[in-house]
Amino acid sequence: MKDLIKIRDLAVRFYTYEGIVYAIDDLDLEIRQGETLGIVGETGSGKTMTALAILRLIPYPGKIESGSILFFDKSIDQELELLKLRDDRMRSIRGNRISMVFQEPGAALNPVYTIGDQISEVFLLHRRRELAQRAKQRLDSLLSDGNGLAAGVKRPFWGWQRRIYDKIAKESHAFEPRLLGRLPLFRRLLWRMGYEAKLLTVDMLKDVEIPDAARVAVQYPHQLSGGMKQRAVIAMALACSPELLIADEPTTSLDVTIQAQMLELFRRIKVDKGASILFITHNLGVASEVCDRVAVMYAGRLCEVAPVGEMFVHPLHPYTKALLNAVPMPGKKLETIPGVLADALNPPPGCRFHPRCPSAMPICGQERAKLKEVSKDHMVACHLY
Amino acid sequence: MELRAYIARRLLLLIPVLFGVTVFIFAITMFFSPTERATLYVTSPQGMRDLPSIIEQYGLDRPFFVQYGTWLNQVFHGNLGWSNVVSMPVGRAIFHYLPATLELAIFATPIIILTGIFFGSRAAAHKDKPVDHATRVVAILGWSLPTFWLGLLLMMIFYGYFRGLLPPGRLSSAMEIMVTSGDFIRYTRINTLDAILNLNGPVLLDALRHLILPVITISTVNVAFIMRLMRSSMLESLGKGYILTARAKGVQEKLVISKHARRNALIPVITVSGYLFAALAGGAVITETIFSFKGMGWWASQSALRLDISSVLGFALFMAVMFVLVNLVVDILYTRVDPRVRLGGGVQ
Repeated sequence: MKDLIKIRDLAVRFYTYEGIVYAIDDLDLEIRQGETLGIVGETGSGKTMTALAILRLIPYPGKIESGSILFFDKSIDQELELLKLRDDRMRSIRGNRISMVFQEPGAALNPVYTIGDQISEVFLLHRRRELAQRAKQRLDSLLSDGNGLAAGVKRPFWGWQRRIYDKIAKESHAFEPRLLGRLPLFRRLLWRMGYEAKLLTVDMLKDVEIPDAARVAVQYPHQLSGGMKQRAVIAMALACSPELLIADEPTTSLDVTIQAQMLELFRRIKVDKGASILFITHNLGVASEVCDRVAVMYAGRLCEVAPVGEMFVHPLHPYTKALLNAVPMPGKKLETIPGVLADALNPPPGCRFHPRCPSAMPICGQERAKLKEVSKDHMVACHLY
Repeated sequence: MELRAYIARRLLLLIPVLFGVTVFIFAITMFFSPTERATLYVTSPQGMRDLPSIIEQYGLDRPFFVQYGTWLNQVFHGNLGWSNVVSMPVGRAIFHYLPATLELAIFATPIIILTGIFFGSRAAAHKDKPVDHATRVVAILGWSLPTFWLGLLLMMIFYGYFRGLLPPGRLSSAMEIMVTSGDFIRYTRINTLDAILNLNGPVLLDALRHLILPVITISTVNVAFIMRLMRSSMLESLGKGYILTARAKGVQEKLVISKHARRNALIPVITVSGYLFAALAGGAVITETIFSFKGMGWWASQSALRLDISSVLGFALFMAVMFVLVNLVVDILYTRVDPRVRLGGGVQ
């Protein structure tokens, strides 16, 4: 089976006044179909930037300098080069085939629109034809069932509406509906699509285990609790059943009990929807709970990639070992990694971890270690191996 | 009805506000001695002999609260006093001069707000691009142009150089005669509105012709302010997490700006727009004077210059009412834009 995402030699740089920040440096990573890949690392190690690079949403003044990100499109059995895709094609992938859940659910939701509005927007963007089809079916049943005077009066209008929706269903950007969508008041005549989107939204909210979904759909973000907001954000990301769900520290801002529920939800999503998940976290415990494979990043580079069991039992890279050692445990003195995260403006030469590494060798300061496979599926970038 | 109760409560708030404003202004006038204030009513050197009787008649030497009470009592009876400057009762003066000012404000405010919002959000959307730089330069230029200089310059060009293309005043004399004739009903005294209500094309065109220059003058100076506010507010909103969410959803950049960012960015602009309207409705002194567009600003400045205390008090009362009302409208508008704001509760 082909990898869903194949990242090769990805480099992301930020051109700031102080100098060039090497946010991601020659990253090679693949996300397999149906797996949950965790990316762990300290703050500033380039985890989020990797995710944003896949969506091509690197914020200004950052730039994807070089590399390639291949996305395997199952429907046409072809790999798409995301970095060379036209903007509108890329937009049709965002939120549709690849979607993202952000760290702060409170910040990720627009405070001036209802939850329902924000989720149905996804359907209206990517599922126009399906919505039109549903609207058409509803009109069909209205046309066949409707009796009495009111229905008789409305019948021609329903017929006309049905024709318009039929056009959208056949070709989502047909001329007539597009013109209608542009005209200020006439736009409202297409309300049935929004209505269908709302119905799908409520289903979606139920799907992420939100009680009283119909009521939540008409509420504003500030009226919901943190856990509910995160569920709504996940519902928004899952709306179009994406092939890849990127979750950027989705549990960090929630309390522990809600965290556990959220992890359960992610596990279920993977089983139910068969989606791949890119799970970004700095919490190793969380990573061990949900991930199939884990990638460890340090200062914009990959240190080690391994299946989750392997990673926690036989860590190879000194940084991974140090990270695992730094996990707080009852009865154990809290360990830290000496030194500070490498300065992204002037990264140390060679291996970026060598100034903090307990087993550094002379070569570490001169030459960068390539990522090599030491055992099956276990890759490490270190001169020790 | 929540809304109705809220409006009632806010209107009740007018009472302490008006009391405070009037006491304050009344107190300032007390720094003048009774004789000084009495001389305002004297028109000839011979009249100086009557000063004691004037002081006696108007009670100018009585304690502060007695004088204030007398004035307040008169106000409650609908008598705001006599405006010496324009030789009519203050109440009538307000109704006489308000329409001109309102006309200016009604035309200028939408122009200022809409252009400010439009260019402000464009500048923010294209931050550090040529559009942004151009907008900022124009904004600073407009903001720093002295009103009197811009007004005089425009007048020089469009009245002097182009031989009376855009004349000063509110109407040309022929139209003035038509307006004051019996056939023309002055519903509001706002010339453009009256012309529309009377279906009178020539008056409408003439009134608009006279409005162009003052409106341009006021707008140029004030647009810059709204524009810069909108730009910074928009930039703040564009940096928020929900904008990234919208982009990650696949929303077109145009809609990210106009739907997701702008509505959030509008909140501070609404506040300022309200005050802008209130300030403009209080009269634009320099603009009104230059274009002899006699309105509240002109009347108030003349009254202040000539120490016409009852006029100044009347004007202050009017402004206080105006600001409270505008504040109320702004608060109600808030709830339309920002669901987090509930009437009376504030931001949750």
